[in-house]
Amino acid sequence: MSPIAIIALIIGVPSLLLLAYVFARGSTGLRRYILTRIALTLPMIFILATMVFFILRILPGDPVTSALGPKGTPEMIQHIRATLGLNDPLIVQYGRFLWNMITLHFGNSLVGGHRLILDEMSERFPATLELIIPASVLALLIGIYGGALAASKRKQALDYSLRIYSVIIYSLPIFWLGLLLQLFFGVRLGWLPISGRIDAIIGTNLKTVTNIYSLDALLSGNWPAFFSVVRHLVLPTITLGLILSGVFLRMTRINVIETMQADYIGAARARGIRERILIYGHALKNAMIPVITLIGLQVAILLAGAVLTETVFSWPGMGSYLVERISARDYTAVQSVITVFAMLVALISLAVDVIYSLVDPRVRY
Amino acid sequence: MNRQRMFVVAAMIVVASLILSACGATPTVAPATQPPATVAPATQAPAPATQAPATAAPAATATSATSNPDTIIIGTTDKIASLDSADAYATHDWEILRNISDGLLYMKPGTTDVAPDLATDMGTISSDGLTYTYTLKDGIKFGDGSPLTATIYAAQLNRLLTIGPKCPNDVADTLAVPYVKSITAPDDKTIVFKLTTPIAFFPQILAGAPYVASDPNTFKTDACNLFPTAPVYGVGPWYISQYNPDEQMVLLPNPYYTGSMKPQVKQIIVRFYSDPNTMALAVQSGEIDIAWRILSPDQLTSLKSVSGLTVGTINGGSIRYLVLNHTIKPYDDPNVDKAIAASIDRNAIADTVYSGQVSPLYSMIPPGFLGADQAFDTMYSSPNLDAAKKFLEASGYSATNPVKLVMWYPPEHYGASTAAWMQLIKTQLEATGEIQVTLNSQEWSTYVPALTGGKSYGAGVLGWFFDYPDPSNYLDPFVFNRGEGTNVTLPATGSLTGTPINDKAKQLVALLNQADIETDMTKRADIYKQAQDLYADMVVTVPLFFNAEHVVYRSNIKADANSAKPENLNIGPDIMFFYSELSKSQ
Repeated sequence: MSPIAIIALIIGVPSLLLLAYVFARGSTGLRRYILTRIALTLPMIFILATMVFFILRILPGDPVTSALGPKGTPEMIQHIRATLGLNDPLIVQYGRFLWNMITLHFGNSLVGGHRLILDEMSERFPATLELIIPASVLALLIGIYGGALAASKRKQALDYSLRIYSVIIYSLPIFWLGLLLQLFFGVRLGWLPISGRIDAIIGTNLKTVTNIYSLDALLSGNWPAFFSVVRHLVLPTITLGLILSGVFLRMTRINVIETMQADYIGAARARGIRERILIYGHALKNAMIPVITLIGLQVAILLAGAVLTETVFSWPGMGSYLVERISARDYTAVQSVITVFAMLVALISLAVDVIYSLVDPRVRY
Repeated sequence: MNRQRMFVVAAMIVVASLILSACGATPTVAPATQPPATVAPATQAPAPATQAPATAAPAATATSATSNPDTIIIGTTDKIASLDSADAYATHDWEILRNISDGLLYMKPGTTDVAPDLATDMGTISSDGLTYTYTLKDGIKFGDGSPLTATIYAAQLNRLLTIGPKCPNDVADTLAVPYVKSITAPDDKTIVFKLTTPIAFFPQILAGAPYVASDPNTFKTDACNLFPTAPVYGVGPWYISQYNPDEQMVLLPNPYYTGSMKPQVKQIIVRFYSDPNTMALAVQSGEIDIAWRILSPDQLTSLKSVSGLTVGTINGGSIRYLVLNHTIKPYDDPNVDKAIAASIDRNAIADTVYSGQVSPLYSMIPPGFLGADQAFDTMYSSPNLDAAKKFLEASGYSATNPVKLVMWYPPEHYGASTAAWMQLIKTQLEATGEIQVTLNSQEWSTYVPALTGGKSYGAGVLGWFFDYPDPSNYLDPFVFNRGEGTNVTLPATGSLTGTPINDKAKQLVALLNQADIETDMTKRADIYKQAQDLYADMVVTVPLFFNAEHVVYRSNIKADANSAKPENLNIGPDIMFFYSELSKSQ
């Protein structure tokens, strides 16, 4: 079973079970809402994929000449184009593309050995997942806790510092931050590795199943590999997570301040409940509702950030794969990756909306 | 069900999924493998000397990799496009192929000298130059212990002629089909090549990666196999034990190897980087032992000042040149072309843009190759603005009537510095006062067909690296059949060289054809000198500089001192990196 199928199972099975639970226990309005969102997601992905298909073909450049360079004779170019189906009528190519999307086959890469794109994504997608999950967790931890802290110390030095931090960190270029961390912690101090997913030698002993190396190391009980993967994750996770934390910090701070002005908070304060419990036990929970919505919106930014982070840290994920294949005019790979990204964003947005309705019982669809 | 219980149920579902997937899944990447049990080399990660049993993997520290004397880690920004010798057509693919397998001939490390490898000698050539016969050495085996016979070898080489042209990268149409009519094995020790036309550089072609022996169990005669599953065996000193695309490749010693280049370490790991800056930092921090292809001039300058690192410079065969389209105005005027040749200051490009990391090139044949000379320097002594002006004024141009040139370049393909040296060339040309230059950039995949198609661009820059290390591969491609956009000959049906556009082009074509079949090297060198002079007179292209390759390595890495260039890890002008040359101290 391919790694991507395994990951789809790990994420898909619990998601489907959760969805089934929501359907069973949720209101009619919620069920209708979920079905409508699913129904709208499919044409959304179709439209996006079609746009990508035609935009790539409108762009100047050709994958075969790009790959062969000046050594490609006209005969070689025509032969390879014919083999890859690039000389077929556009409508035929479009039909083939749609069929590949529907069957999740994705076709073959047009460059670099013409491998199955599903195989290439099986290698790359787990790497991106392994990066964006801890980065999201870090962003949320710093953002939510920092935002609550800033709100609790409103108009004090800590509040101002955290607000300045959030603006600066959000405006920093990701690649610059990554480079800085590499230079300082990797080269100057020698504390952490600066590239790759795992130590080169230790990596030769890792038995992979899901291609999420940390998980594979745990499953096979390979502790040196696990610790090596964790060490390699530190700098890219910090890079990606810090950049995103600024947005969460600001949003959480604003919402906690607003919530703290509600009547029930005043009443709780009057009953003698400590400020710390008021903020973290009551206000923060209610302030999280818009933050949950923001998480859904930030997924797209997370994926974009992953592109740069993966390049700086030579992390072989989907982001760096996309950049390479755009330059090479690898139409099928680019179409496939963007379709997968779109599906991911759509599904996470849907999940966020469902969670939102579960968290706040006042929300009705 | 309340919220807390819901979360518990969800967590249990996730855990159950993990357990189920662990039970059912099969590994997708082969672990380090070993050849059959008759020979048992170390296949686990070799333990550092201070550790106890090799059954335990080494402790996880970032620098443990480079402190391990049994493993050398080589970083590169190249990617693997094919591991099938009948298909592969990229420098790094050839490097891997040359390390895992051998051919009848090879180029001695650090040089372009051709010598026998699997063959007992340099072979016999028939009097008409059309038949080459070689005898195979005894006892050659693949990494799985199976023997290589001439019959097997010939069958595998025939893949170049049969399925090679159908494979995606199609090296066969450049390095096999035009030259080789048939490959046969009259017995288990003899291989016979029949050529389509006599050529003097067939040994150089035969020494290349497309002609190495490939494993018949992995590379079938009826199909391309660009990414075979590891282990991948050849008859060379190494075999591929693991390959994670875009991450790393692990090579272990071939226990059946009988050649002269025996491995000196137990493991080579090739680590792939997407960002050259990260690779530079990795060699600096010790994550890798060697950084090889491709670092920028700024990165190299910075690494030279780091103690514990050595930067080796390989004057290789990679060149940059200006293509002039001789059928598009004003480049169809020989005086304009000569003025361009006379105006360019190559030393300024090398010093200003590349901080001396490249060398001026005065002929399309780089130094070190047979017959190479300095024809453009002899003829134009550039920069020589007075001579340039004289050429222009002979065609009626002046300060009030300057010639208008449009020049193109790809902004990213040859590195970010391309824009800088094109700007410098513009300045140099305009220093005559009688030339106005408009520079345009175009993205690579559009740029190449526009320039080499010969119909759109009047002038543009290109780079070139040889397919085989012979002077013919530095002149013929720019003269024959539209010449990569020069149009000094125009394609003609049934003609291998095309139709020359004028008498000088006709003369040049005749000289190159003569050199291609001349087997006396002294005479051949002389023909090439004549050809280079005529080439410079016609200004077919304007050679600018040749790009040295650089290898950066840590102080505990050494190369075989008996080979030609140990200071460059014995990487020669053919840019072939033989890993067996390397050793590592603690």
